[in-house]
Amino acid sequence: MSGGRLAENGGQRIRRGEELRFTFDGDSRVGLAGDTIASALYAGGQRTFSRSFKYHRRRGELCGCGQCANSLVTVDGAPGVRACGEPLRDGMQVEHQNAWPSLELDVMRATDLVGGPFTPPGFYYKTFIRPRRLWPLYEKVLRSAAGLGKLRRRQPEREWRTEYRRRHCDVLVVGGGIAGLSAALRAAQLGADVVLCDEDVEPGGSLLFEGGHERARDLAARCREAGVEILTRAPGLGYFDGLVPVWQGDVLHQVRAARHVAATGTLAQPLVFPENDLPGVMLAPGALRLAALYGVDPGRCAIAGVDDRALETALSLHRLGVQVAVVADLRPDADSELTAALETAGIELMRGVTPVRAGGSKQLAEVQVGPVDPSGRLRGSARRIACDVLAVAGPQAPASSLLLQSGARARFDDTLQSFLPQEAPPLIHPAGAVAGHADAESAMLSGAVAGAEAALALGFGEREDRDRLASERAKLEAEAPTVRRAAPPAKSHDGGRGKAFVDLDEDITAKDVAYAAAEGYDSLELSKRYTTVTMGPSQGRFSQLASARVLGEVTGRPLGEIGVTTARPPWTTVPMGALAGRPFEAAKRSSIHARHRDLGATVRWAGDWRRAYDYGDVEGETMAVHEGAGLIDVSTLGKLIVRGPDAGELLDRLYPNRMSTLKPGRIRYGVLTSESGRISDDGTVCRLDDDTFYVTTTSSGATAVERWFTWWMASWPELDVTLTDVTQGVAAMNLAGPGSRDILAKLTDADVSNEGIAYLDGPQLAIAGIDCLVLRIGFVGELGYELHCAAPQARGLWDAVADSGARPFGLEPQRILRLQKMHILVGQDTDSETTPYGANLDFAVKLDKEQDFIGRWALEHYEERPPAQKLVGFTCPGGEVPTEGAAIVEGDRVVGQVTSSRRAPKLESSIGLALVEPRLAEDGASISISDDGRRIAAAVQTRPFYDPDGELLRS
Amino acid sequence: MRDIFRKRRMWKFATELKPRYDVVIIGGGSHGLATAHYLREHGIADVAILEKSYIGSGAAGRNTTILRSNYKTPEGARFYDASVKLYEGLGADLDFNLLFSQCGHLTLAHSDRAMFVMANRAEVNRLEGIDSQLIGPDRVQELAPAMYVGPDTTYPIMGALYHPPGGIIRHDAVVWGLARSAFEGGAEIHPYTEVTGLRRQGDRITTVETDKGSIEAGVVLNCTAGWSSVIAEMAEMQLPITTHILQACVTEPVKPFLDVVVVSSQMHVYISQSDRGEFVMGSEIEPWTTYRMQNTLNFLQDLTRHTLELFPQLERARLLRAWAGLCDLSPDYSPILGKTEIENFHVSAGWGTYGFKAAPIVGKMLAELVATGKTPELIAPFALERFYTDELVSELAAAAVSH
Amino acid sequence: MSFVLDCPNCGSREVTDFGFGGEVTTRPTGRPEFKELNRYVYFRDNKAGVQREWWVHRAGCGEWFLAERDTRTNEVIWTARPADAPPARAAAASEGAPR
Repeated sequence: MSGGRLAENGGQRIRRGEELRFTFDGDSRVGLAGDTIASALYAGGQRTFSRSFKYHRRRGELCGCGQCANSLVTVDGAPGVRACGEPLRDGMQVEHQNAWPSLELDVMRATDLVGGPFTPPGFYYKTFIRPRRLWPLYEKVLRSAAGLGKLRRRQPEREWRTEYRRRHCDVLVVGGGIAGLSAALRAAQLGADVVLCDEDVEPGGSLLFEGGHERARDLAARCREAGVEILTRAPGLGYFDGLVPVWQGDVLHQVRAARHVAATGTLAQPLVFPENDLPGVMLAPGALRLAALYGVDPGRCAIAGVDDRALETALSLHRLGVQVAVVADLRPDADSELTAALETAGIELMRGVTPVRAGGSKQLAEVQVGPVDPSGRLRGSARRIACDVLAVAGPQAPASSLLLQSGARARFDDTLQSFLPQEAPPLIHPAGAVAGHADAESAMLSGAVAGAEAALALGFGEREDRDRLASERAKLEAEAPTVRRAAPPAKSHDGGRGKAFVDLDEDITAKDVAYAAAEGYDSLELSKRYTTVTMGPSQGRFSQLASARVLGEVTGRPLGEIGVTTARPPWTTVPMGALAGRPFEAAKRSSIHARHRDLGATVRWAGDWRRAYDYGDVEGETMAVHEGAGLIDVSTLGKLIVRGPDAGELLDRLYPNRMSTLKPGRIRYGVLTSESGRISDDGTVCRLDDDTFYVTTTSSGATAVERWFTWWMASWPELDVTLTDVTQGVAAMNLAGPGSRDILAKLTDADVSNEGIAYLDGPQLAIAGIDCLVLRIGFVGELGYELHCAAPQARGLWDAVADSGARPFGLEPQRILRLQKMHILVGQDTDSETTPYGANLDFAVKLDKEQDFIGRWALEHYEERPPAQKLVGFTCPGGEVPTEGAAIVEGDRVVGQVTSSRRAPKLESSIGLALVEPRLAEDGASISISDDGRRIAAAVQTRPFYDPDGELLRS
Repeated sequence: MRDIFRKRRMWKFATELKPRYDVVIIGGGSHGLATAHYLREHGIADVAILEKSYIGSGAAGRNTTILRSNYKTPEGARFYDASVKLYEGLGADLDFNLLFSQCGHLTLAHSDRAMFVMANRAEVNRLEGIDSQLIGPDRVQELAPAMYVGPDTTYPIMGALYHPPGGIIRHDAVVWGLARSAFEGGAEIHPYTEVTGLRRQGDRITTVETDKGSIEAGVVLNCTAGWSSVIAEMAEMQLPITTHILQACVTEPVKPFLDVVVVSSQMHVYISQSDRGEFVMGSEIEPWTTYRMQNTLNFLQDLTRHTLELFPQLERARLLRAWAGLCDLSPDYSPILGKTEIENFHVSAGWGTYGFKAAPIVGKMLAELVATGKTPELIAPFALERFYTDELVSELAAAAVSH
Repeated sequence: MSFVLDCPNCGSREVTDFGFGGEVTTRPTGRPEFKELNRYVYFRDNKAGVQREWWVHRAGCGEWFLAERDTRTNEVIWTARPADAPPARAAAASEGAPR
């Protein structure tokens, strides 16, 4: 029985004697420290790890390095873990995926038994079309069979804490094989700050299992000495214009390097023959890794390949003490030192043959090999070889995703029988096997060249380093690789039944691809989308070339013309939690926020801010403003200081009214519009002195207005003016109500009479000993003072004012109060098309001013034409409060919408604002509101509901 | 069922261009192909579809396959409703299952302002006869039991706009079904044929130049979405469009637990789970203009972070693949459809992120326009002319201070 | 986070640090016809190629600056304060300023 452990050997990762206990589908299992989940399972005799996506076929060890989707398991509730790449930990709970009720007794296996003829590609597109009403039922069945792993149905919050790390460096080397190590070492020796990332638990790449582990470890040690930061178990996920995210466990490194070395190596490719997905059919490096790194005896091995790699694999396995049955080399004429070595080792080499069928029930028991014709069909008879493992060494394909993402092109190389990335952009240096330098020595040299090129380009190194690079480059070019590789057929077979897969993730056979091509899906992209080939969890790593070969064969086009599909990130599938980083909430809170919490405020989102909506008594708070005094935190208002000799000129160009004529200490309302005359924001402008204006904006518009102002300032360099955004540094609160003057009087020695501080005055006073800008304005419709002070002092001011008798009120009472006055909220009572004329802000547009200003031309146009919609007030005699957003209708025709609505306790009525067609904007006009199907009668009112003449404001 | 076993050739791509066609459609995406499909109803068959890559390679094959009609403006709602209705029957028309799953569509509201906008949309939709309702958090939880609808989240769910007829469809199937119909109707589909220039004489386009040769055209249709401006420039005209990338991604398949489409505009995500079990997620467009269809890292980071606010259990689900497509954004987020100042040059552009949802109705309307020379009433509000007269059909809630 | 821009004030930063201000347009001088106004307000070259455009260092110094970028590749050719910017190829000296 295979699966025990081999004798010790210097390269093994396992630590014998250090046992780790874990469970697989609930059964307890034992592995060794250093094992992967898969190596431990395999050593314990487990051959099937999961079931496949469509046909529920058995899936087991394949690539041995976490690149394939054959060993997807769920670990401690996390699905999609690659068992063959995931280090074993003590106590892990491992479960299979996609089989029910158990891995062995999978009822969905039926889809395979009947599946072949019943599920040709595109099956669903051709079925269940009529009657349409039955489709949801079919779909339900379909969905119940979908998916691989299982997630918890509900989870209240994230449990996995992940972090981002930003790392700037000179050179990032992606891939820690011999080429990557060599590149990193050279660049670091030249003085560059180098980061190297690799997917494996240690750098070294294929050296680690091909007998070069000592060399690999030595190189890595020298890199570390030279200062290279080595990240392991850390795949580079993609190339985002020079930014490479590297995923390492709980950390996502965002590496921004000046230069990149792509040393991403190659991927062994499968061969296509019937039953080529049986557990036991592995990629050659997969079998080697099992034996070399984990000391697992894979069992009796047969090797099949197209080049020397098959021979090398056989010799390596043999050296490790694995029984090698035979090597099936597709080349008819293999003859080299390696063939001699095989002979010496007593390993049989069959030339000119390839597998035409695998056999076995639950796992591989035999393979049939024989010579095939160019179409892949067996010529003559096949030979049966009993074996536990078939190690397949198809043509190596460059792992070129990163290079292709960076802009390189893939060109088919006839010698290598795969697509090589070409024309990499100048900031990225390919090295090693991905660049066609596959053997260890030329990979080492090409790494050194790439590392030197990167470092020298950044200004490191001396003249002799350049000379050295030139000679190394020449040497590399002179020693162009002499690979002898046979082109495998798209599919080799004996003419019998059985599925020959080109894509093990998606259960796509060569026949499926050919069938789809015959239907018209004969380009790689169409084939991919129609058959889903290459779209599974291994992202086409092991299926793109195989499916391209099938397309090439059926269409008669060369592979170079078939091409490759677009390389897309991420290179390695990555848990969403790792990309998401730490959850954060970019909320702003005012400097008085603690008081609101103390007072038990209901806190809600208002744009980016967390604000007090009320303090539990909306009506009481509202009435307090009417009858005594209220206090609301309005620190969220945008606040800008515009200063300079041309400050007035700037504001005159941005506002449709005149600001330059304001007298110091006076305030004016202003509305901002776009060039098309649409309202974008509003607020007040207070002139502090000749050169200085204090501009407030809406809370939600603060950032945009700041940006609008500064953009125009950049466009008008002739203006001598500066802008300072003090939104965060200055707090503000509105003291309002008939009693507010008395409160103010208690807190200042200044004359606060109606003459001392008149309506629209903006004096600078000490209130409760705190320097304030006092704006006498009346957003809520009662006598009021907006007090602006330095944010750190605001809590003191708030306390002083509140202690003097002002009752805190929240956003909701403020909305009622301002609605009574028909004071608009930009963005709520205006929409993207509202002009000042539509919002009754004609008074704020001064077309008689000589100056050009933003929006002037459009406003001149709209002054003469009725707006599409006009803002009006309305009352509902029936007392209903329509939903904000409800439609104004005539019959079923929409003629407007309710923009604001509330019950006003002071007025004891239901009031609102609505945008309506102008013909309805007449006092007393009756309008009909459609609110969730209900019809509500309302009457239009154009004058404010409360204090229409503003007497209270001015008194 | 007979078709399952019968290998039926879908199309045969044309290789040689004729010297002249009555109708030249630039763009082999869902709009171009749909137009060719509906031109059959008018007996117009002398049609060439010029596609610079493979059919459906642009927005048609890159969108997140969501269909809905709960738009803000009556004009928009009416138009997209007509589209959804056509989509409902399109599979049968094309004899191709488009896997249209009307699983329902939820737009979440996390603020008062959002509730206000949703209420307005629900009302406008209802008046247009569209099933669209404002629902509370409890009903949201019922429809999406796997989503975390708790009061203690960063962005509490105050309610949602629920649109039962909305859902997802197989985008590629739409392309293929339409392509087959166009082909069977006699239209020539020319993939890998790039338009390189347009020759204009006065108010007419006379010649379409391609990398495979020049052709004369009776009518030319610009159905190129993200590249609309580039084609328009060849015709010496400007469009009110900017081109941006929109990105999406998909996870490895997991056992299904989400049966509705979930959208959060505040968090800029939309999420659905496909019939294969993959979570398909998209975000809003990048603010800067570009023609480079490449993903950005911040998209992946923001999108995953926001998705996990709603579905924390997806933290261990693995992101499999991300991609980007181009969007042609108009100033009012409504399309630009129909006639231009050039007599025989019509456009289907300005779709922003909504183009795929409109494919069949665009095809039907453009075909009618080509056949009759008259702009159908349904699309009259979307004329290019509206930007010269400043009569927008704004799908935007509020004006923003921006350029 | 994909391409980087050189803020003339702060140096090289990820694009996510910046706000995009759109392609540079020329504000009509004098009172335009309504159609001309709307062409300026709504219509854009939207060039697939080198575009002159506005950026603001949103997450940094807050300064607005000009850039030329190839929209096909996102390669940023230069960035500069408006006063230091090379003259635009087309005759458009004014950066949209009302006079």
